[in-house]
Amino acid sequence: MPLSSENLWRRVQRILPTVVKPGRYVGGELNQVVKPWDSVRTHIALVFPDIYDLGQSNLGLAILYEILNQREDIAAERAFAPWTDMEAALREAEIPLYSLESKRALSDFDILGVSLPYETVYTNFLNILDLGGVPIYSRDRVKDDPLVIAGGQAVYNPEPVAPFVDAFVIGEGEEAIFEVVAAYQAWQDQDGEREALLAALAKLPGVYVPRFYAVDYQPDGTIKGITPTHPDANLPVTKRILAELPPPLTRFLVPNVEIAQERVSVEIMRGCTRGCRFCHAGMVNRPIRERPIQEILDSLRRGLDQTGYDQVSLLSLSSSDYAQIIPLIEGLRQLLCERQVDISLPSLRIESFSDELMDELQSLSPGGGFTLAPEAGTERLRAIINKPLSDGELMDTVRSIFQHGWHAIKLYFMIGLPQETMADVEGIVDLSRAILSEGRRIVGGRARIHVGISTFIPKPHTPFQWVPFEAPESIQAKLDLLHAGFHGAKIKMTWNNPDASLLEAWLARGDRRIADVIYHAWRSGARFDAWREHFNLALWEAAFTRASLDPDFYSTRQRELAETLPWEHINAGIHKSFLMQDYQWSLEGKTRPDCRQKCYACGILANFRELRLAAPDGGWKCP
Amino acid sequence: MSAQEDITRVRVAYAKGPSLRFTGHLDLQRLWERLLRRSGLPIRYSQGFHPRARLNLASALPLGFVSDAELLDFWMDEPRALATIRAKLEDAAPPGLVIKDVRIVDLREDSLQSQMLASEFVVRFFDHQSEEDLQHQVASLLAKDDILRTRRKKTYDLRPLILNLEVITLAEDAIGLAMRLRAEPGATGRPDQVLSALGFSHTQYLVRRTQLILSP
Repeated sequence: MPLSSENLWRRVQRILPTVVKPGRYVGGELNQVVKPWDSVRTHIALVFPDIYDLGQSNLGLAILYEILNQREDIAAERAFAPWTDMEAALREAEIPLYSLESKRALSDFDILGVSLPYETVYTNFLNILDLGGVPIYSRDRVKDDPLVIAGGQAVYNPEPVAPFVDAFVIGEGEEAIFEVVAAYQAWQDQDGEREALLAALAKLPGVYVPRFYAVDYQPDGTIKGITPTHPDANLPVTKRILAELPPPLTRFLVPNVEIAQERVSVEIMRGCTRGCRFCHAGMVNRPIRERPIQEILDSLRRGLDQTGYDQVSLLSLSSSDYAQIIPLIEGLRQLLCERQVDISLPSLRIESFSDELMDELQSLSPGGGFTLAPEAGTERLRAIINKPLSDGELMDTVRSIFQHGWHAIKLYFMIGLPQETMADVEGIVDLSRAILSEGRRIVGGRARIHVGISTFIPKPHTPFQWVPFEAPESIQAKLDLLHAGFHGAKIKMTWNNPDASLLEAWLARGDRRIADVIYHAWRSGARFDAWREHFNLALWEAAFTRASLDPDFYSTRQRELAETLPWEHINAGIHKSFLMQDYQWSLEGKTRPDCRQKCYACGILANFRELRLAAPDGGWKCP
Repeated sequence: MSAQEDITRVRVAYAKGPSLRFTGHLDLQRLWERLLRRSGLPIRYSQGFHPRARLNLASALPLGFVSDAELLDFWMDEPRALATIRAKLEDAAPPGLVIKDVRIVDLREDSLQSQMLASEFVVRFFDHQSEEDLQHQVASLLAKDDILRTRRKKTYDLRPLILNLEVITLAEDAIGLAMRLRAEPGATGRPDQVLSALGFSHTQYLVRRTQLILSP
């Protein structure tokens, strides 16, 4: 007997006082959208498989929430991962996971739209299905169960979670989601079998229905072939993109409890032309689409009016590449004069700083820190990863930053990059120390350097998709070298746990068989794997054993160029031949310039020729 | 900078409803700061690098409680008509926060916290309670000379903080409790502590604050 919404909520009220930060689980925020349940035809739960505090600030989720709720016949509600104490309380009281708006069990919804922005939410995703009363495996769901669709940056390799998802939307979902809803409603009208719904979805561009594809393996465990088993299944499944950026948010939800990012965010640009070889986002989010300045400023003003926040943030992969960056900053300064707000403009490229830009930035946000991401410690390695920058250019920029009045610089580097040697790691130390002494010379003892170290993880659809993930022991040796190198240097270093990166490496490039590993890890208690206090490598190693799979096969193995990759049937818009050539160039230390100057035929124009005609201003900065 | 004589101190009486039950004291302060920013009223800010709206909440309401009777003061750089202030606050209020009264108070008045004397609460139990049993429990609690309780590793006597405690009949003939607890700086009684002393766990009831009593 399903629990009525009133009954469910009555029971939840009793457990809330026993959990940490219960305000995460109650909804009721300003600008939340609640529609009477029976007044709409299609109920969609937007599921973000991490805690409310993080998920609620996700802009992609907010956009889907807004555009779906603009439709009169659709109600879009939210559900997040409960923290472990709340999970235990829900299970103890036998209360299903519910949506924050109508307090309905997830199993009451027609469609669950799951965001999978990073791989370490996969166990939470399974846990949410289980708590929500939805069968974990797609094959076990029957006609009355919700349709489970998933999208987000991680699903460019959908295979590791393929058995749990009915249909993936690959790429940008703002238009495709309505096509999914239309297919769902048409299927309801015809009163067909669940299989008929999946077949209808499989036809939609950018939609991937994994059960309609067979994966065969070679004796050595690599993939022999990926073949459609249904006449309507797309091959390849080409990602969806929009010709131009969708309108910015107009309705900003304001949480009643503290969340991670309390600020008005607007996406100023999607895509990047720099072609850094390690960068998944830079490869899969092509082409470039810029938002007009006026639209950015209007959205920020409206957001500030609606929320009462005192911070704004401009989002893009490379803000300083925004064509009209100087006029944009002028506009922001105007905004700053009107109201007392802090402005953050992340992702600035080192070589793109003019003195003018530096002056403008200083006027926007005086004092404080400045963040740079050289990524590698030597010129040689920076060429290999295609983020070319000479030590001289870097030092010029650093000098200029200190001269303009900043005194703290945060530097981001990666270790474990392809062809990296200990000399490159020493380069991180030498460079950081040189930057600190330059700072001391210019601003004296106030100069501060913070070095952030992350571990390189080879990602699908990048030129480095074939290279091995460096073994954790050898990563640890590099970290030890850095610790020793910074000892006594008054440089603060932070780094991420190499074991956690290892998990990400397994999941990011896994095939369909990895789903068993995820399932076993979840069953044995893996949750919140992105959270240091919950991550447990031993659970995962045991899950690999249980699934009879070799973890090294997925992480530290060099993949052959001829190998069929698990995501071979997913077309992220970039030709495989382009990625191969770029990988080859990396081996030769050859760089590829920013493609706004010259087109290198990555595949975007070939894949989206017609869409480009609909793009404003001649289309996407592609020459 | 506005002239000193223009500075206005506004006192707001408001209700905090079920959807804000789990918005704690610090979150509530931040909620009010945003509400005031959204209102467009000429809010007075603190000086400094990170200016904050100047506001003053009378008394922290424990997490999980609702209230009919919260008080807050804020300051404006310029005067506005009361009706305007009220309308703008109502427009900017999130669901669950109901503006009940707005008035101007003297700038020289003491802070709300230091005027606090006591709070009154009504308790509704989720499950049926026997009136007789509850009467008995209340009577025996009140008969004690002291009620030693420990909160945050400090032991204190709850008994002198209970100014009144009685069994009442609520809507639909439900049996509940009404209490008046001292709420002076350094001597504030918490209803959950009284309920715990009576043997109830915090999953068994909902507490509503019904009145704040300020020094005359």
